[in-house]
Amino acid sequence: MIRVDAMGDACPIPVVKAKKAIKELGGSGVVEVLVDNSIAVENLTKLAKSLNCTAAAEKKGEAEYCVKITVGEAAAQPEVGGEACYVPAGKKRIVVAMASGKMGEGNDELGAVLAKGFLFALTQQEQLPEAVLFYNGGATLTTEGSPALEDIRTLEAQGVEILTCGTCLNYYGLSDKLAVGGVTNMYVIVEKLTGADLVIRP
Amino acid sequence: MRRKKPALVIAFASTAHAMRVEAFCAAAGLPGRLIPVPREITAGCGLAFKTLPEEEAHFRTVFAQEGIEYEGMYTVDLWG
Repeated sequence: MIRVDAMGDACPIPVVKAKKAIKELGGSGVVEVLVDNSIAVENLTKLAKSLNCTAAAEKKGEAEYCVKITVGEAAAQPEVGGEACYVPAGKKRIVVAMASGKMGEGNDELGAVLAKGFLFALTQQEQLPEAVLFYNGGATLTTEGSPALEDIRTLEAQGVEILTCGTCLNYYGLSDKLAVGGVTNMYVIVEKLTGADLVIRP
Repeated sequence: MRRKKPALVIAFASTAHAMRVEAFCAAAGLPGRLIPVPREITAGCGLAFKTLPEEEAHFRTVFAQEGIEYEGMYTVDLWG
């Protein structure tokens, strides 16, 4: 039996960890995954089904679930990669677009404080966005010396995709100063924005 | 691992004052940063200074020495 602790992990990390454990098992056996939300339970149950395994979930506490995946002889081996987040109905795919290093118009000093405050408040939300895009002046937020790095790193650690526009980094001379997340291009930015249910531009 | 942990949150009477305090702390090498005031706290303006709980005595001393006014200090659980 392999026990996996996926408490506090954002989708799709619990599924990724479970797949890894099933692979490690290398045959029949049991993988127990501890998670803290019902969506993860649902995703793990779907994973088990897709691999011809059985899954039993048990609620252990207010935010603690144990999903027991029983891997039989007939089980398929999981493929690593391509994990989708099965977001149940009602849960929106949220993308945040940081189009500027400042939030709102009026005073730039206040705008910078508000942008930093926005990213902090984002880390405190129950549902985190799928991705945060940084472009034009927003690119200054993901680069060295940005006061928001700590919060953006927190988001990234929770599975939020952090993407900064490469054209913008180049324009501002910040190409070698990126401190968090990855570099992206306009095609990916358009895909992320058009694929979202909800785009937040603070 | 997403877990809440305690933070010391200091509330101020005005946004401009909170911003000045952050600038002062940065210059003085005091750890912490501005955050929007957590919902649990009703005092003060919209911005608060967040630092480590163990820094409370230190901040009280420095603020007293420097004559920096604040509305209150609170320990709040925040996502780490």
